[in-house]
Amino acid sequence: MDDYKTYLAENVLSEDKVITYRFLSRALKVHVNTAKQMLFDFHKGQNGKRPGSVHATYLVYGTKKDEHASSQPRPSQDDDVDMMSSMPEQEETDDVVPVQTLSLIPENELKDALQAYEEVKSIHVYSLGPHPVKDVALLSDAARQVLTLSTPEDVPSNLKIYGTITNANVRRRERKGLGSRLAAAAPAAPKAAAPKIEAKPAAKPAAAAAKVKEEPKETQKAPTPAPSAPVSSAASKRAKPALQRGGSGGLMAAFAKGAAAKAKKAESQPATPSGDDSSVHPLSDDEEDDSAVLPKPKAPETAAAKSRAQQRKEELQRMMEQDDDEEEVQEKEDTPMEEPEEPEEEKPAPESAKEEPVEVVSASGDGRRRGKRKVMKARRFLDEEGNMVTVREEAWESFSEDEAPPPPAPKPKSASSAPAAKGKKAAPKGQGSIMSFFNKKT
Amino acid sequence: MVAFEDVESSLLAKPSDETPDVPERTPSNYAPLKTFVLEKNRQYQQQYADIYFLRLTKIKPAVEEVAAAEWDGLSVGNEKARRVDRVLDVRQGELCYVAGTIYVDMPLKPNVMDDVSKDRWIGAPTTVQKYFSDEGTSTVSLEDDSGRITLIGNVLSGIVLVTGCIVAVMGTENVNGEFEVIDIKFPDLAPQPERWALSKPPFTTNGKKGKVSKLKDEDIEMTDSEAARSGGKIAIVSGLEFSGTDSSYAMELDLLLEYLLGEALDPQTQTELSHISRLIIAGNSIAADRKTAQESDATDKKAHKKYGYDSKSYNAEPSHLFDEFLNELLPSIPVTLLPGALDPANSSYPQQGIHTAMFPKSRSYSAVPGSSEPGWFDAATNPLEMEMEGWRVLGTGGQNVDDMAKYVDSDDRLGMMEAMCRWRCSAPTAPDTLSSYPFQDDDPFVMTACPHLYVVGCQPTFGTKVIQGTDGQMVRLITVPSFSASREIVLVDTETLDVSRVKIAAVGSV
Repeated sequence: MDDYKTYLAENVLSEDKVITYRFLSRALKVHVNTAKQMLFDFHKGQNGKRPGSVHATYLVYGTKKDEHASSQPRPSQDDDVDMMSSMPEQEETDDVVPVQTLSLIPENELKDALQAYEEVKSIHVYSLGPHPVKDVALLSDAARQVLTLSTPEDVPSNLKIYGTITNANVRRRERKGLGSRLAAAAPAAPKAAAPKIEAKPAAKPAAAAAKVKEEPKETQKAPTPAPSAPVSSAASKRAKPALQRGGSGGLMAAFAKGAAAKAKKAESQPATPSGDDSSVHPLSDDEEDDSAVLPKPKAPETAAAKSRAQQRKEELQRMMEQDDDEEEVQEKEDTPMEEPEEPEEEKPAPESAKEEPVEVVSASGDGRRRGKRKVMKARRFLDEEGNMVTVREEAWESFSEDEAPPPPAPKPKSASSAPAAKGKKAAPKGQGSIMSFFNKKT
Repeated sequence: MVAFEDVESSLLAKPSDETPDVPERTPSNYAPLKTFVLEKNRQYQQQYADIYFLRLTKIKPAVEEVAAAEWDGLSVGNEKARRVDRVLDVRQGELCYVAGTIYVDMPLKPNVMDDVSKDRWIGAPTTVQKYFSDEGTSTVSLEDDSGRITLIGNVLSGIVLVTGCIVAVMGTENVNGEFEVIDIKFPDLAPQPERWALSKPPFTTNGKKGKVSKLKDEDIEMTDSEAARSGGKIAIVSGLEFSGTDSSYAMELDLLLEYLLGEALDPQTQTELSHISRLIIAGNSIAADRKTAQESDATDKKAHKKYGYDSKSYNAEPSHLFDEFLNELLPSIPVTLLPGALDPANSSYPQQGIHTAMFPKSRSYSAVPGSSEPGWFDAATNPLEMEMEGWRVLGTGGQNVDDMAKYVDSDDRLGMMEAMCRWRCSAPTAPDTLSSYPFQDDDPFVMTACPHLYVVGCQPTFGTKVIQGTDGQMVRLITVPSFSASREIVLVDTETLDVSRVKIAAVGSV
């Protein structure tokens, strides 16, 4: 109980702080009324030892003298227009309104201030400080310090502790936006965690080579030791989605390379979990980073996590049953993730094919390509001497034509085991050269 | 005369080990009405004339009834007073009475015709504090949908009339075509609903604690019976004017917060304070940005460099402070917030509630959008009609009275409020000089029900009085001063409607 003395001594005497009763109550987690008594007791004790070492302010509440006279609401004055002269005469009662005054008074003025009071209902120490209060603003700042101590989370319980008048009827609105976001985050978290763990064994061997194509194979290998290491059957169940996920990640890359992994794709493609692609693909993209930065794999696996994984698997299976349309949409969503790898792999193809020097395709759709290309043009003009001069120079020319470069077209065909959805995924990126290939197919 | 030694206080003692009791706040019975709520996708393309027409059709029967009771059968100089339906039907030399809308023209009053004549160019807003001038140059006329007639007579000089109020006048038309008024009548107080007209008194719901009952589309929170017996109080404050630059009354605001929370003062007083069941903030919670000369100079210079809106010039501090203030209060006391002239709400009457986006912390206490239940923190309209502890309460942020005061020589705000009640119109000068929404279907400013309590915020001084109507109506009028200037709040007893004041004074201030 006496620790308030040390607290006050520390803050008021050593650190020159102004401490209000509210601050003290928050700091020590005591009732405000107890805090007021603590302040009083400390003030008395300190000034008993050394007068003038601590200065207090008091909060006084009561009725002031003469307030009754002045509290009369301005009665109708001489210059007042009688607004209602035609009204039936009524005695309009101007009430004598009782006035209570709440004053904050420094201790050296307290005696005088109390003189002005007719009745004091309540008085207590408001704050203690090492110096007499000169500027109210400082005190106000001290009072506001309370905010820094209060924690918004447990408001109702705090009210009881501090002695704020409680209200049983208080209603707070459930923040829908916040709530749903939290709810969404909760299932998302295990999702994000699980694939990460799975991907690691795959990523590690692949890291050095950075051959994304090999990844599906690796993932297939990885699960095989996985079930044996953790004993539970849940783990082995989880291994399957792992493979699928890894497969889908690698698929994107492998698909570009052609039909090499065709057989593999055939089994992994339908299993592609459309629902959580977003959480999977980032992995396949920065696998190297993952393996480098996060070397520790899934060692601790709680039962809860396992059951979550199982839930997830069921969820995935449900999703897989959904029709292709949905998958298309999902696929489109992942495309941004792919961006880093695809350009390198696919761009060279059209460029290596015979083409005009430079070409920028700005739009291609409805089977036509539009854009600008660089061509050599002959420009003929009269110079200062009146001679006709012909200059050949490069110029940009806009064009619009039918799908011009056919050679790359068969390429995607080779990957035809993948559904058309795969082709579409590139669409929103604005990679004209690739898109144009797929447009014909659809 | 109190000496320090005489004062006994349990708090001027050594700390005791016992844990003090925490008082429980009296529940608040509160049902705001949607009288002044505008629809969200409202149009502003209508003409204003409809408001006057609607007002006249709504109030005319009442004022004609009063006039008929007074003047029917009355004869002046062998001539019987005859009722005339339309202003245009007044015949020269005939003693008659007619009802219509008052229009007051004053030289200093902004005239809508100026705007029209300037064609697509809006005149600068008026800066005069009063439209009234001493020279007696103002003309009063009576109009309805048929025509307009100028009123003259000594009677007028003793009576305050403003544009938009509905009256009946008796007299004759003289040779100049002016109407010489012998007497004038107002519709007087509207019928007053019984107490608990919309909500049920708590004691009828014994044993049904906290039950919500549906009644006339109003959800009313039922409260337990014991609490209602003890007379609760409502705290009313206006003009808190949280400011980013002026901290001269910041301490008083802190003390107000502690007072309302019941943390200040001794246990006995804290129990008293727990009977304050609701806080009504009647306008001007956020201060106008009064820039000092230096500051405005600095911003002027900056303005040259930056094109468009400079977000640096926006000071979010006032609304932050206000939000914090509310956030601390709300766990303990429900708050009804009316916007005022300075608040971030639409400026035209009726002002709609301040958007809760202004209160990132305290908005979790506000109502769910679209729900019919009033929020614990109710950002309401201005004016607001509500039923509180069964009493019909009309509250405004003060613009209606402020605008009316410009027409009048005196500053008798209570008199103006009384006049509004007797005219049955809570904002007579809208839409003439008080900007207002162009209503099409209804004029909500017509007081169809006489309130028991009429509160107007942001007034220069405190004042209260009770007025009575011919049918035994009793209305308690209160003008609430701005806290920033007067540092006081008003407490109203919920059983007797008695008023008391609390002044808050920090060090150095009076």
